[in-house]
Amino acid sequence: MRAALLRLLPLGVGVAMLGLWEICVHLTQLPIFVLPPPSAIGTALVDNFATLMGSLWVTLRITVLAFFWAVVSGLALAIIFTRARLIELALYPYVVTLQVTPVVAIAPLILIWVGFDHVDRALVIIAWIVAFFPMLTNAVQGLRSTEPQLHDVMTLAGASWWQRLYYLELPAALPAMLTGTKISGGLALIGAVVAEFVAGSGASTGLAWRIIEAGNRLEIASLFAALALLSALGIALFYALTLLEWLVLRRWHDSFAKSG
Amino acid sequence: MTRAPDLALHNIGLTYRQPRSGEDVTALRDITARFAAGSFTALVGPSGCGKSSLLRLLAGLLPPTQGDMSAVTQSDIGFVFQEPTLLAWRSVFDNVALPLKIANRKSGFSRAEIDTRVIEALTWVGLEARAKALPRELSGGMKMRVSLARALAKRPPILLMDEPFAALDELTRFRLDDDLRTIWQQQKPTIIFVTHSVTEAAYLAERALVMREGALQSEVVIERPKNSQGNFRAAPEFHAACAALGEALAAPPARAS
Repeated sequence: MRAALLRLLPLGVGVAMLGLWEICVHLTQLPIFVLPPPSAIGTALVDNFATLMGSLWVTLRITVLAFFWAVVSGLALAIIFTRARLIELALYPYVVTLQVTPVVAIAPLILIWVGFDHVDRALVIIAWIVAFFPMLTNAVQGLRSTEPQLHDVMTLAGASWWQRLYYLELPAALPAMLTGTKISGGLALIGAVVAEFVAGSGASTGLAWRIIEAGNRLEIASLFAALALLSALGIALFYALTLLEWLVLRRWHDSFAKSG
Repeated sequence: MTRAPDLALHNIGLTYRQPRSGEDVTALRDITARFAAGSFTALVGPSGCGKSSLLRLLAGLLPPTQGDMSAVTQSDIGFVFQEPTLLAWRSVFDNVALPLKIANRKSGFSRAEIDTRVIEALTWVGLEARAKALPRELSGGMKMRVSLARALAKRPPILLMDEPFAALDELTRFRLDDDLRTIWQQQKPTIIFVTHSVTEAAYLAERALVMREGALQSEVVIERPKNSQGNFRAAPEFHAACAALGEALAAPPARAS
């Protein structure tokens, strides 16, 4: 009972804040293009529902594609790195370079090279660059975290390299990889929004584009509505991945151990 | 079970370079020993005397830097580590089945045969009822039994054990010692059992090799009363063996480095 109430606490805080916001806006009579009350944002959300859902779909698609490729390429490169030290030594500095160079600065190039014909593809690539690195580093760390004695068990069993990978290293790396996916998922969304901002044209009509458009027209309520959907998308992604983590690890991993 | 040939070591030495200081460390020197097929040998010595290195070398996990040893096929070896070394995400059954599954590529065990062997091995260690449990649901002693079952499921002619019961409480250890004796008497694998416990060595083995500072120091043959069904721990032969082993361990190293 108490636990259930504690879970509802954040929701209660949210409702109280929205109420306070609504009251303050009405009392101070702020103009609607500076700070619209939550009720106006709700109305904007309902009025532009079809458009906003279309934009949500565009952004979701870029995010999910970028996330998917981040997971696939991060994991593949991690497996290569942990098998061939020479390749890791040769490539790692460039991976870091890609990571530390601000993506906003690379984006125009990618838009020129890829974006003329396929804006969506360019946006996915930009978001992928942002999301890729945590997946790689977490997967590498996870694959390396296996106990040496468990490797001895595999050696004595005569395991081939892929049996070692399949039976031992990948399952042992799962906790770290799932942490990686949680970070990468969030970053893929950030990357998608940044990419849309940089693309800046109406060629891609995701939620970030709606925000720019609403800002230009001083339709601040619509801007807030798009923003709220972006947050909701981020939260949904995060909890979907947390759920996945729970489903995969709850039975055997210590971080989900029940007392007693 | 196929019978393994005798294991023989001739002038074996092991030297490795310490990664930090760059100094050469001699872990084993000039070891000559013979382990007859079906014999039960204890390797006794203080921590750091090289007994675990010797065992890893016998298992082919480490190559010797000097000397010759008889070639051993890794599939003939069951190895039990000091820790249970179970895969936390696999059930007891799946942990025990793993080496068979991996070997399946070469030796072609049928699924039914793997099942039979796993259940058989779990029955030997008294855990057939917990086949579906995950390692974290078991006590330390039970996990060690699973580890033993995993080594036994291959029906290996050679069983190498690296202080497998050292971390367990004494009662559990006594019980596992008894189980191991029974398994050895029934199946007669060659067992080489590393321990730092004089009483455990005296209770389990037919003979004990005492190691000091990387070298074999002496050999103690452990006599058991003939046709006695009583508790060996209460027998005078057991106490004599303990005393002899204690003396051998207390003696100064045969050779200074």
